[in-house]
Amino acid sequence: MSNTLEPVATQATESVFTAGPDFASHPEAFRASQSAAWETFSSLPMPRRTDETWRFTDTRKLSLDGFVRAEAVTDAEQASLLLRSKGLGKTSGRMVFANDRLLVCEMHGEDLRAKGVLWLPLEQAIAEHPELIARYFMQEKTVLGSAKFAALHASQVRAGMVLVVPKGVEISLPVETFHWLSGENASVFPHTLIVAGENSKFTVVDHFASAGETTGLAIGVNDIVAGAGSKVTYVAIQDWSRSATAFHLNATTVARDASSLALRLNLGGAFVRDEAVSRLRGPGGRSDMLSVTTALGSQIFDQRTLQVHEAPNAASDLLYKNALNDTARTVFTGLIRVDEGAHKTDAYQKVRNLVLSEEAEANSAPGLEIEADDVRCTHGATSGALDEDEIFYFQSRGIPRRVAQQLVTFGFLSEVFERIPDADLAAHLSDCLHGKLG
Amino acid sequence: MSTELLEPPTSVSPASQIEIDRSRGDFVYPEQHEFDAGTGLSHATIDYIVDVKKEPDWIREFRHKALDTFLAKPMPTHWASKDLENIVFQNIRYYLANAKRPTRSWEDVPDDVKKTFERLGIPEQERKFLAGVEAQFDSEAVYSNIKAAVADQGVIFTGSTEGLIKHPELFKKWFGKVIPTGDNKFSALNSAVFSGGSFIYIPPGVKVRHPLQAYFRINAENFGQFERTLIIADEGSEVMYMEGCTAPKFETATLHSAVVELVAMKGAKIQYVTVQNWSNNVFNLVTKRAIAHEEAEVKWIDCNIGSRLTMKYPGVVLKGRKARGEVISIALAGDGQHQDTGAKMIHAADETTSNIVSKSISLGSGRSTYRGLVHIPKHLKGCKNNTECDALLINPTSRTDTYPAITVRGTGNSSQHEASVSQISEEQIFYMMSRGLTEAQAMSLSVNGFVNDLVRQFPMEYSVELKRLIDLEMEGSVG
Amino acid sequence: MSLEIRNLHARIASNGTEILKGLDLVIEKGKVHAVMGPNGSGKSTLSKVIGGHPDYEITEGDILLDGTNILGMEPDVRSRNGLFLAMQYPMEIPGVSNANFIRAALQARLPEGEELEATDYYANLYSKMDSLEMDRKFTARSVNEGFSGGEKKRNEILQMLMLAPKYCILDETDSGLDIDALRIVANGVNSYRSAEVGMLVITHYQRLLDYIVPDIVHVLWNGQIVRHGGKELALELEERGYDFIKEENAA
Repeated sequence: MSNTLEPVATQATESVFTAGPDFASHPEAFRASQSAAWETFSSLPMPRRTDETWRFTDTRKLSLDGFVRAEAVTDAEQASLLLRSKGLGKTSGRMVFANDRLLVCEMHGEDLRAKGVLWLPLEQAIAEHPELIARYFMQEKTVLGSAKFAALHASQVRAGMVLVVPKGVEISLPVETFHWLSGENASVFPHTLIVAGENSKFTVVDHFASAGETTGLAIGVNDIVAGAGSKVTYVAIQDWSRSATAFHLNATTVARDASSLALRLNLGGAFVRDEAVSRLRGPGGRSDMLSVTTALGSQIFDQRTLQVHEAPNAASDLLYKNALNDTARTVFTGLIRVDEGAHKTDAYQKVRNLVLSEEAEANSAPGLEIEADDVRCTHGATSGALDEDEIFYFQSRGIPRRVAQQLVTFGFLSEVFERIPDADLAAHLSDCLHGKLG
Repeated sequence: MSTELLEPPTSVSPASQIEIDRSRGDFVYPEQHEFDAGTGLSHATIDYIVDVKKEPDWIREFRHKALDTFLAKPMPTHWASKDLENIVFQNIRYYLANAKRPTRSWEDVPDDVKKTFERLGIPEQERKFLAGVEAQFDSEAVYSNIKAAVADQGVIFTGSTEGLIKHPELFKKWFGKVIPTGDNKFSALNSAVFSGGSFIYIPPGVKVRHPLQAYFRINAENFGQFERTLIIADEGSEVMYMEGCTAPKFETATLHSAVVELVAMKGAKIQYVTVQNWSNNVFNLVTKRAIAHEEAEVKWIDCNIGSRLTMKYPGVVLKGRKARGEVISIALAGDGQHQDTGAKMIHAADETTSNIVSKSISLGSGRSTYRGLVHIPKHLKGCKNNTECDALLINPTSRTDTYPAITVRGTGNSSQHEASVSQISEEQIFYMMSRGLTEAQAMSLSVNGFVNDLVRQFPMEYSVELKRLIDLEMEGSVG
Repeated sequence: MSLEIRNLHARIASNGTEILKGLDLVIEKGKVHAVMGPNGSGKSTLSKVIGGHPDYEITEGDILLDGTNILGMEPDVRSRNGLFLAMQYPMEIPGVSNANFIRAALQARLPEGEELEATDYYANLYSKMDSLEMDRKFTARSVNEGFSGGEKKRNEILQMLMLAPKYCILDETDSGLDIDALRIVANGVNSYRSAEVGMLVITHYQRLLDYIVPDIVHVLWNGQIVRHGGKELALELEERGYDFIKEENAA
């Protein structure tokens, strides 16, 4: 299947702040929710550093002024971006978006169609499956500080991927999506909506990248609804331009005996704010929240997480690893919240920072809020430099310090990829990381 | 106001010399205050306090400014407990005292006050092992004594008022410098209305072998106690200071808001031990901080058992090379209590090290919170922080939170934070009960086992008492 | 051609404690030297100082590798000049596979722009691993991570064989080895003995020297070489212990 939607004319010069909702080709029913989201966006203040959810962030530098709606890319650029959309070797299906317009949507093999899987661009889902959208689209409250930006996303969204996998269906190869951002000060609002039916099993990979080294704004939202007994793997590889401002807001709900594993590889961006919330709704559920970040130059990565144990006997395991160099900064604040009655919770949270330069700064604030007594919760945060004995070991084998540092950094970060069950996907993540570390 | 007189406890174990058992502090004597600043807080209140205390003008000015700061600052409820909103500042009495200067001889202490402190175990304590003692009853010190041998070494140990009047050159240099008035709303309040507390100066090289001790007692209802303590340990000196606090349980909430500033000069060592056992309707909002100069060591040993809400995060500013800061804390949050404690370590020089070990136990509807702040800025080398915080939950309604914040910059430094939340396993309790222990005994043993390594860091007399207190608390929590 | 240590004085950088106090030693190509000594005599310091470990400061003396002073060189430059250090406690490097590690070390020896030929590399690696009876799975595992003591030591010798150094320092290579592992490791080392290679075996016990037979034995005591002899000196030390050395030198 190949499907290209007509680009909709926009007033490219007007700021996304003042333009109002972007109705695109959405049907009337959805437009109402967009207008409401716009109202919310307009009424909420910009975050301030004194807000608990923005602690450690220099919010004065956070400005959305000047960003405009992205225009459709030219045919020539489309062709070039399609060529650059290199992901996994084998997938069940692939969508490519540029500036929030679909360029390509192709199924590979019969895996998706034959099994009754609903896999389609968001715009089509909004038009054809309003009940689905009403039920699953951005239904969880944005609680980690970016409610304003989530509202902006909801009012502007036009592109993204929707995947609904029926009960008992397993998809052997991942589905893959590319989102490209092109043009000075352009903004995109990519969305990924994943609904896993009972006992289904599949993998989704999102790639986010800029066409060139331009400033831009990306506010992405992704919803993962893991139904009972399902097993969902979600990987996002973020490589926006080093001048881009980016938000990635995730909301995951995990039902009884379901398991969700989400990994984010952060490479690009000037200022990147990640918010990830996992809600353990059913007993026996499990959520793995993983992140790998290389912060170079003056990059700022601002990561906020929440693990909410609403049901007993569930497990969550968070591991965030950051390698910082130059004048980069990272912020991690995470919270494990165990609600009353969520006994036999097993929750873990760990952030590890490898600080490689004098000017790099790592902030960590791992938190626990426990309202049940029969739980096992631990968290840890470490920050430190390279181990000189390790470096000596490399050097004693003739490997120069610079190479040793790269190898150790790569080893430190890529350990997280061992948690990805799919070997090809893990190898792809390693390749992407290599690309940045050199 | 309660005027009930309780009988003295029937059995006093000779081993438990320092009485910090809450039931033992829960008695009250009739108030006979000669000076009473009345209810509520205004600039007139401050003038009243300054006039009664005959303080110099610079203090008057300092207090008035502080009151303005206090009034301007919002409550920190955007991060802290909403319970703070239940403090009605206009219903509190800010200064209550008798006319007399603190006496040096126990015989001269007024009889009713003497009775209070005798029941708390003073001054027999003093004869046993203390180098000096200061006892505060509501706003002012009523008894203050320092052993001749220690005084001869040049050690100054007085109340804060006497300190600022008699030793202005020492006092002014550091007063309000470790904790500025505007540090937080409650440090501003203390700066406006402070009274009592200790002023201590240890001359260079003097190692005070026995601890100095202070007792704080609130005896009047609707009263706020705002003691102010300043300890300066000059180069190479060593001192241990211990404080104990009690209050009877009144119908209405009472406020205790102290400010404690420590200055450890080059190579000096200060240990500051607190066993806080306020009755469980006291708001205990305390700011404690130390400056540690080169190679100095400051250790806060902090135990919070009483109060309704405690908010206290002892800190050390590691200002000189190789300075070392440590916070060892134990919190026990019983029914209706919230122990919101923690530590701050500000690294400001190379090769400074800090260590935080915090253990909390929440039982019944109690809630314990750990808040930590560790800051290692850029261009420092060889700084290390280690933080461990462990929480134990006893009942299904118990609650615990942990909120550390760690900033590390540069390649020469490291920090490590570990925290865990656990409970006593049913198997463990069953095993002990199958050997003939009651459930309460089994629980007490387990809880004591949990805090044992920290309790050992307290002076012996305190650790015995702590264990007994934990036993008492545990008895009520199982059933 | 030799590795020559002249009047070497070294101290711990962090606290200034002097460990080596004027040590002289010449390791010629084609010879195996053994340095024996009691705990605390400076054995491990010697190997680390030759390797250029940053924990130590040289206050006096020289180390010449085929006539070139290596003291000012970074550890990696020393390695590329033909020096190899088999460590008593090899580091664990999480996330870096053994194969990639050795490959990076070989790559670092090639001129800029030249790539290591992967097929040849793996063929070479596998044959060396076979000779040390190492399972192929060790190529993909992180360097030394989760290895047993014996596996770590075999891995050290594997690296030695792969990097083909001119001078090898083996620091307590026998520690943590059972008799089978010891035999395998010793076979690996012996297979590498040649007229082109000088070796220094540092050990506390004579046991290793039954398998790697030295040409010359030195006794290290209090930061200096205090005695030389043939392989029979090792047997004498084994029999009499180090006490007589201590007494002789205390007198």
